[in-house]
Amino acid sequence: MTSSGHIKKDNNDPGSDYKSLPEGYGNTEAALLPRDPNWMFIYWEITANSKAEVCKTHGSDIFQKSKQIIRVYDVTGTGSIGTVDQKYFDIPVMVDAKSWYINVQESGRAYCCEVGLITPDGRFIGLVRTNTVSLPVGRVSEVTDEKWMSVTSDFEKLLQLSGVEYIGKGSGEVAKSLAQRWEMLRAVFSRASSWGVSSLSSHTLAKPPLSKAFWLVADCELILYGATEPDAYVTVSGRKVKLNTDGTFSMRFALPDGGMELPIKAVSKDETETREIKIKVSRATNTDGK
Amino acid sequence: MANNEKGYLALVLHAHLPFIRHPEYEDFLEEDWFFEAMCETYLPLLDIYERLTRENVDFRITMSLTPPLCNMMSDPLLSGRFQRYYNQRLELSEKEVARTRNTQFYDVARMYERKFKRIRELYEDYYHRNILEGFKKFQDMGKLEIITCGATHGFLPLEIRKEAVYAQVKIAADDYRRHFGRGPKGIWLAECAYNPGDDVYLKANGIRFFFLETHGIIYGSPRPRYGVYAPVYCPSGVAAFGRDMESAQQVWSAETGYPGDQRYREFYRDLGYDLEYEYIKPYLHSDGVRRNMGMKYHRITGRVPLNAKAPYNPQEASEVAASHAGNFMFNRERQIEHLNSFLGRKPIVVSMYDAELYGHWWYEGTDFIEYLLKKVHYDQQTIKLVTPSEYLGIHPDNQMVQPSMSTWGDKGYNEVWLNGTNDWVYRHLHKAVERMVEMANRFPSADGMLKRALNQYAREVALGMSSDWAFLMSVGTAKTYSTKRFVEHTHRCIALYEQIMGNRIDEGYLKNIEWRDNIFPEVDYRVFSTAAAEKAAKS
Repeated sequence: MTSSGHIKKDNNDPGSDYKSLPEGYGNTEAALLPRDPNWMFIYWEITANSKAEVCKTHGSDIFQKSKQIIRVYDVTGTGSIGTVDQKYFDIPVMVDAKSWYINVQESGRAYCCEVGLITPDGRFIGLVRTNTVSLPVGRVSEVTDEKWMSVTSDFEKLLQLSGVEYIGKGSGEVAKSLAQRWEMLRAVFSRASSWGVSSLSSHTLAKPPLSKAFWLVADCELILYGATEPDAYVTVSGRKVKLNTDGTFSMRFALPDGGMELPIKAVSKDETETREIKIKVSRATNTDGK
Repeated sequence: MANNEKGYLALVLHAHLPFIRHPEYEDFLEEDWFFEAMCETYLPLLDIYERLTRENVDFRITMSLTPPLCNMMSDPLLSGRFQRYYNQRLELSEKEVARTRNTQFYDVARMYERKFKRIRELYEDYYHRNILEGFKKFQDMGKLEIITCGATHGFLPLEIRKEAVYAQVKIAADDYRRHFGRGPKGIWLAECAYNPGDDVYLKANGIRFFFLETHGIIYGSPRPRYGVYAPVYCPSGVAAFGRDMESAQQVWSAETGYPGDQRYREFYRDLGYDLEYEYIKPYLHSDGVRRNMGMKYHRITGRVPLNAKAPYNPQEASEVAASHAGNFMFNRERQIEHLNSFLGRKPIVVSMYDAELYGHWWYEGTDFIEYLLKKVHYDQQTIKLVTPSEYLGIHPDNQMVQPSMSTWGDKGYNEVWLNGTNDWVYRHLHKAVERMVEMANRFPSADGMLKRALNQYAREVALGMSSDWAFLMSVGTAKTYSTKRFVEHTHRCIALYEQIMGNRIDEGYLKNIEWRDNIFPEVDYRVFSTAAAEKAAKS
């Protein structure tokens, strides 16, 4: 799959913009999608009718006075939400955000989510529930097979031979590799510096010199995400951030050692209201050289 | 002589482009992607198969030809436009031969003239304007194994409805039969994206194997005894072959990969920008904007700006490709010898790449493949080239492993197709699929106009499922076009749904979109019914 050009100018008839798609489909529903061993994506729609029903039962100010959350259930084994001892955790969220990325500590588990409210007296009101998603484990299985058993040290060696260190870097995407070369060419021209890690490509771990048999490399990045009104003006560290249609935003940063401050500022469309959140991150990497 | 080999090498090329065909425009820029790939990859590969066959060089290669690609390759409108494309370039290259006489660009200008003449000859005289004939010929000879792919290269792990997964496979298998006269034995899951359990839908369609990224196998459970160097059987009995990273990296690595050699052709310096405007204008699109012509006279040269690139020397570049092919083979021999002694079994090394890497992006890549196939035939006995079907015939004894969810995208999972640039598509896509399923269940035996409208809905929803749209949004190339395409198909689904459910189908509208989106002429919307998917899951 390759690409080499730009769209023709006269080829942009109205209605081709994603904003022309419906905001919702008039159904209260939600879906959960797997992204990787530790991340899922949820989107939902809660109709005005559904909200009105909840207000009718629980009081008209129930949305204002309750905490709005996503409840993330671990439904491993059963596939559905049980009644007793059900494992879960909550993520504070705005019901109007309509979508969210969910980080889970435990990979290889099955999850199901419910968007809902926690009332001031601690009761949970579920608004909409998702399908179940099984996340991959993201590492070598503990299970061995008697018929096909191999000695453990052999398996370690086999992993190396299989190129375990390349996992996630074997992208077959031509465009990506070529885009990198193009960026390289542009950098030669302009010495452009890059701010953050906006694209998929920039960071790869360098393989150590071949002389060492055993080795380890590790690095980390920072993902910043949030949501506001879709028409707000948002900046991070003073730079404008492009919002998604639903007002959410996310970005990846390189995270070098040291401290980093990320002031996030949102200004409402009529410029009458401002909200600010400041996040401080610090990183210290310790390699003892052994 | 027989059985002297120490192991096997399976070379797998994934050929795919999204379905891009715009009869509503006289000429359309994005259709060039297909024409470029035809001239630079698909026809040159067939040319190699022709030459090797004539020289009695035995070879094996596996290619996926995705359903969108097959539908474009057999489309009369695109065929006519493709002829216009190469005839224009042939004319330009003839002018260029005259213009560059006594310059350092003469050899490369002549190379293009020869090339476009050969393209014309192959396309018209050998394959009668349908190159699927050519691919079928080599498949029937047993040298090429053609596998299919999801109907529109749909990204299966992000589909919620199993009906959609089944339909992607079933439509593809039927389309394959239409072109190649038998069912597919193998499939390339779009983006190598595997979701545990989806293999039952492959099995239900008679598919015996598919391919996975390395960690799809080595993170499988139980632990795979031979790593990626033997296929495993999924619980359904369908075989999964894992990608060998060593051979992938040899070609792909940014630092040490072959395509970066400075004697190779520079992709980004193109005649479309170099020549005088009035001279090149007749060969540009009707908007007159300078763009790549696919004719490039310079080599990579080194880390220098585009204007400091040195002239390309075709002879020298071809020799480099030969030496890289020799190096690749040498490394595979050593790798296979080592694996053989380590594993106590003949390993299979599966080297898989995007087909368009060869020829289109890495211009000399097709030479590389030709040299490699020849060298393997003449110069060594360690490696035997196989197709996956052949391998499974020789070694039906494989371990049962449940592979892990995985893709070949950046970071190994679904993020390329699910991130802040493209996550908005899924609520619309899932709704369009849900409505298709609803209608397929509700109308088990439609006919007349209703049937036509339902079949067209099936085409539109399938086109919306192409992983290409989300991918292009993610990498930022052709983002406007990919957004527009996704939105258009979604709009057509919404309109058709309202017309069908409101019992007021607008024939003029239907006719218009049937004319535009004519992929899968024989599609049957009932492949999306819940009963069809459930029956497949039980089979």
